[in-house]
Amino acid sequence: MYLLLALQKALACQLSVPSRASSYPLRPRVSSALSTAAQSVTVEIPPIKAVDNIQATIKPAELNFKMATLILDNGAGTAKVGFSTDTEPRIIPNCVTKAKNVRTRIFIGDQIDECKDLSSLYYLLPFQKGFLVNWEIEKQVWDHMFSKDVCQVDFNETTVIVTEPFFNFPSVGEAINEVIFEEYQFQSLHRTQAPTLSCYKHQKDKETSGSLFGTLVVESGYSFSHLVPFLKNKPLKEAIVRVNVGGKVLTNHLKEVISYRQLMVMDETYVINQMKEDVCYVSTRFNKDMQIARLKGPLNTITRDYILPDYTHIKRGHVRPPEDSGKSKGDEQMIRMNNERFSVPELLFKPSDVGIQEMGISESIMHCLSLVETELAPHLLNNVLVTGGNALLPGLQDRLYQDVRSMACDDYDVGISTPKNPITYPWHAGCDFSLDPNFPSMCVSKHEYEEHGHNICSQKFNVSSTSPS
Amino acid sequence: MADKRESVRIKDGQQLRILDEAARRRRQRKALEALEQDNFSEDPHADLKMSKKAPKFEEVMETASTSGPKKKRKSRGDFKLRYRKSFAALLEEEHMLNKDGPSYVTACAPPSKFPDRHFCAVCGFPSAYTCVQCGARYCSVKCLGTHQDTRCLKWTA
Ligand SMILES: [Zn+2]
Ligand SMILES: [Zn+2]
Repeated sequence: MYLLLALQKALACQLSVPSRASSYPLRPRVSSALSTAAQSVTVEIPPIKAVDNIQATIKPAELNFKMATLILDNGAGTAKVGFSTDTEPRIIPNCVTKAKNVRTRIFIGDQIDECKDLSSLYYLLPFQKGFLVNWEIEKQVWDHMFSKDVCQVDFNETTVIVTEPFFNFPSVGEAINEVIFEEYQFQSLHRTQAPTLSCYKHQKDKETSGSLFGTLVVESGYSFSHLVPFLKNKPLKEAIVRVNVGGKVLTNHLKEVISYRQLMVMDETYVINQMKEDVCYVSTRFNKDMQIARLKGPLNTITRDYILPDYTHIKRGHVRPPEDSGKSKGDEQMIRMNNERFSVPELLFKPSDVGIQEMGISESIMHCLSLVETELAPHLLNNVLVTGGNALLPGLQDRLYQDVRSMACDDYDVGISTPKNPITYPWHAGCDFSLDPNFPSMCVSKHEYEEHGHNICSQKFNVSSTSPS
Repeated sequence: MADKRESVRIKDGQQLRILDEAARRRRQRKALEALEQDNFSEDPHADLKMSKKAPKFEEVMETASTSGPKKKRKSRGDFKLRYRKSFAALLEEEHMLNKDGPSYVTACAPPSKFPDRHFCAVCGFPSAYTCVQCGARYCSVKCLGTHQDTRCLKWTA
């Protein structure tokens, strides 16, 4: 009932060229007192936040006999950055943000934490479809990250590991070389991919438990999801599969359906992304959950009332506690999340639900296995590692297991694991890798770059799409 | 209910319009593009004159036009312009350089072998029906009514 009432009102304003008349956050929508749905609301654990850790304390004296290594896992959504000696990386939004109500400044990376009103933010992102295309923006974010405000990098004494996506375009790679060596003057550089680092750490951590002949890394991030099979530590490029669904598509889709069904939130990427992280989950019984979501009252254990922040009294969006349900405070804005809670993350498994004609991540695992040597496939199947921000969606690992188990040959074991922090895992892996005896030989020094240019970089880094190793 | 709506339309002198294949595809493409968008509205500071920015850009322009590609670059910011390529341009470049071998294009997941699922465009629950006029999915007379009143033919893509 509430749905349709809301529809008639919300739609009227949305369709005639997004008039902002009755949209969030300007005017509270009077929520009907019909909402008696008292449910057992279990408030989900909030997403892991950037740990404000202590600055890297590398004393100049130490630098004389040991160079510092900075690890920059440069994701399209967030960059994870810190020295190999730090316990945790800083997680920096990889963007420049403008706030509607703050006209005197812009916010670079995590400076957005200084902004009190996070409604109607405008984003400038250096990445397009997962690839670094706008250096005007990226340079500002990197300048900030390397400054005393974040990492205080002494470029002359620092080796840096930078990650990039698989099949990165050569000219983007060259831009990274040039910026690292010529603009910042780092001492040496190693370029790699987050899944390659993850595989390295995963292998090392599990070394004692027996043969890790193959690892299949499922990295589901902001722009897309990659399935990367490894033979030992070597990515098998001809069998890498990319699904063009990531956290950004999920948030945009959620914005779209909420704006159509309930409340105009098209400008509220930040707020809706937070809501996604707070209440969305991956269903392991999709049809059953759809049935439950149809039920009225207490029988509907799926629905959640999500109170939106107004940034004056309510600083952060949250699920309305069960004891408050039914009571609606006149000045609150609320979104009722029902089937959206699980139908939105469903796009990772069924991109065709929104017309993206690609396999989802489970089916892609099977496709990926069909592209590798038959002897390797069972090893990969039994050793799947899930990383990236979407791995935090509750139920994702269980659903992957369920799907893959149903599609794989009965004779093979299926093993899927998720690290405790799937966002920072590649960064930690970079710390481990920097201590590997082979690591120095895989870096290009500033001197080598000056001598041989981009060629030596494409030889040493395992990033080009054509070279086999 | 649906009948009543129809009769109103006909009284208005409107024929039962049916969206053609091309228009339906255009709509679908717009919907997919929207999923990639960074922002829905325009830059809220677009009207602000960034006094810092203007000279910086000129400086970049100057160096880009005077120095050859392999010459020493003294000006900071020069690289920003040289490496400024749209995703489409990068893809084109890749296509020229890497004709065989695995690439961004070949790595894309192929279409699913499982049949598509259909959900009501209005309420998001499984749907059994298709709107004759535009091809959108709906689940009930009620949702069809809402669909016709809001999106259906009122949406021009
Ligand atoms: Zn419906
Ligand atoms: Zn229609």
